[in-house]
Amino acid sequence: MIRPMLLAVNISQDITTPLVSGAIQGCVYGLLGLGLVLLYKGNRIFNFAQGEFGTVAAFVVLMFGTGLGVPKLPYPIAIVLGLLAGTLMALVTERLVIRPLFRQPKVTMVVATAGVALFAIQAELFFNGTNGRTARPIVSGRAVSSGGLSITWQQVVIVGVLATLAVGSALFFSRTQTGVAILAVSQEPTATSLVGISVHRISALTWGMAGFLGSVAGILLAPTTLFGPGFMTTSALIPAFTAAVFGGITSLPGAFLGGVLIGIAEQFGNQIEAFPGANRVVVFALLLAILLARPAGLLGKEA
Amino acid sequence: MPTTTTTDAGADVGVRTHVSGRPHRVRSGVSWILRLAMYAALAWVVLKWMPGNPDRAGKASDAVQFALVGLSLNIIIGYTGQLSLGHQGFVGAGAFAAAYSATVKGAPFAVSILIAMAVSALFAFMLGVVALRITGLYLALITLVFGLTLEVSLFEVEEFTNAGAGQPAHRPDFLIENKPYFYFCLAMLVAVVYVDWQLTRTKAGRALFALRENERVAAAFGINVTAFKLLAFVLSGAIAGLAGALFAYRYENVTGADYDFFLALTFVLMVVVGGLNSRVGVILGAVLFSPFGLEQLLEIHSVRDFIANIPGIGEGRIQFMPRMIGAFLLIQTVVLNPGGIAQQLRPVTRWLGGKPFSLHGDKDSGPGVVEGSSARA
Repeated sequence: MIRPMLLAVNISQDITTPLVSGAIQGCVYGLLGLGLVLLYKGNRIFNFAQGEFGTVAAFVVLMFGTGLGVPKLPYPIAIVLGLLAGTLMALVTERLVIRPLFRQPKVTMVVATAGVALFAIQAELFFNGTNGRTARPIVSGRAVSSGGLSITWQQVVIVGVLATLAVGSALFFSRTQTGVAILAVSQEPTATSLVGISVHRISALTWGMAGFLGSVAGILLAPTTLFGPGFMTTSALIPAFTAAVFGGITSLPGAFLGGVLIGIAEQFGNQIEAFPGANRVVVFALLLAILLARPAGLLGKEA
Repeated sequence: MPTTTTTDAGADVGVRTHVSGRPHRVRSGVSWILRLAMYAALAWVVLKWMPGNPDRAGKASDAVQFALVGLSLNIIIGYTGQLSLGHQGFVGAGAFAAAYSATVKGAPFAVSILIAMAVSALFAFMLGVVALRITGLYLALITLVFGLTLEVSLFEVEEFTNAGAGQPAHRPDFLIENKPYFYFCLAMLVAVVYVDWQLTRTKAGRALFALRENERVAAAFGINVTAFKLLAFVLSGAIAGLAGALFAYRYENVTGADYDFFLALTFVLMVVVGGLNSRVGVILGAVLFSPFGLEQLLEIHSVRDFIANIPGIGEGRIQFMPRMIGAFLLIQTVVLNPGGIAQQLRPVTRWLGGKPFSLHGDKDSGPGVVEGSSARA
């Protein structure tokens, strides 16, 4: 009589744990994916430097938060400085790399963003070396801790921030004039400037916002792992791309949804032990399937 | 000599009429002597200096393998205009195929290389099928995820990696030294350059260029889009597989970690910095970004000391500089100098090819060409 019940409990736990931890991990992908979607809406490109905005921000927070070669500042101020650094990096990238390439093919722009990412990673290696760092979480402690399931407050913050930002930026694009102007620039730059919208200012604004979103992602993700140079690019950028494309590269809520789904799929993939890297294979298969069957993604409006 | 004079005269008749000075034949003779001297110097560097000592010969064969990858990648990025960010996948698959077939299955050296080419070509064919439906940025994303997926899945299978220790791949006796191995790699490169040259000068190459510019127009002219796209991918994959096999035998051991995402980025970087669509540019870019290139610069004793003594750098950080400079060069190339090294060197390469020296050498640059060349003639 007891045995079947135990079995049932085990099964339900086997499903809940990867479901919850996958969804939380997916929120990180979604957070990074938001910035990717924003830049796709703004410039029609994939930004490979998105992850590095976050890494740079995380490193700046670490530097000022622990006083590494700079005066030690209170943690909230360090976080503000980190957000500023990531945003500034995005603005500099826009001014020096993206703006001169406005009239070039999009693939050229994408290669350039990959160059920015590579340069940032090498610069981080140059200043930090290869050693990993640990960052202080914004809030410590566990919210839920029962059985195999364990959720830290930091993870709760991640989910909350992502939900707020996804809804907020979706409203920004649908309800404000600036949001509409960004969309207009991406679709027809010449006509947009003819009606009196500054293409350059809009481009800078888009990149600044993307840099901010990337920094938020980096600062939130850094305390959950041991982090080092390029950690956002190597650990989160690819799933984030997959998430953004899966949910629909033009849809901000899609990035959220895609992130959660990809995170969960990865966790279930982890449980397949038939061959190594099954989680990545699952993600790759999902990406191929969605692009072949519905290139616009789950919530996207156009291909 | 006579052939050059006629092509010169045919190319810019207008110039010749008002050129004055020394007799044409003498000038042409002098410049051919200079050219031969350049060829000889180049041949000396490649054939004699590069394999000069075993260590340098080893790194030089790395450079040749990078050049092979560069040519392979150039077919996809340059000729078909699609971005591939997963080329380390093809190269790695080739390396594992060669090592596995030779060491575990006992295939002879030559056969293992052929198997490597076939395996990589097969992977490339599968991506090519995807590329028929998905193009541009989405395809770039798929190649990226493809490379990363191979890296963590197939390259980690215990049977291939010898349970994580790495799959050994022993060179045959006649290539056991680094020097003959370098010449062997060089011979392979020459063969691939020949194939690539044949590709671009025949119908297949023209078809690929037409596809790159506009697929629908090309199809309307009767070009078989499916066949030529797949041909490009398969050829690129086979060359990458060859490079992979040579990598495997170069280090005589293959591990999955050797073929990571940063290698794929380096591949893209060297092809773009070298100059897409230019064989010379791609090969030079590859040599520059291989372990032979920028890092070799640091090996010059005083250079390393000089950099290490700059305040804030020091010995520990110096290892990260070549890649940092490389990434900077990539951004610089893409933003300011889209033709890459090849564009900068075009006057020299044109001259070496028998044309008169001219800083403004491109055929389509209008009156500037005539003025520039006549001033110099």
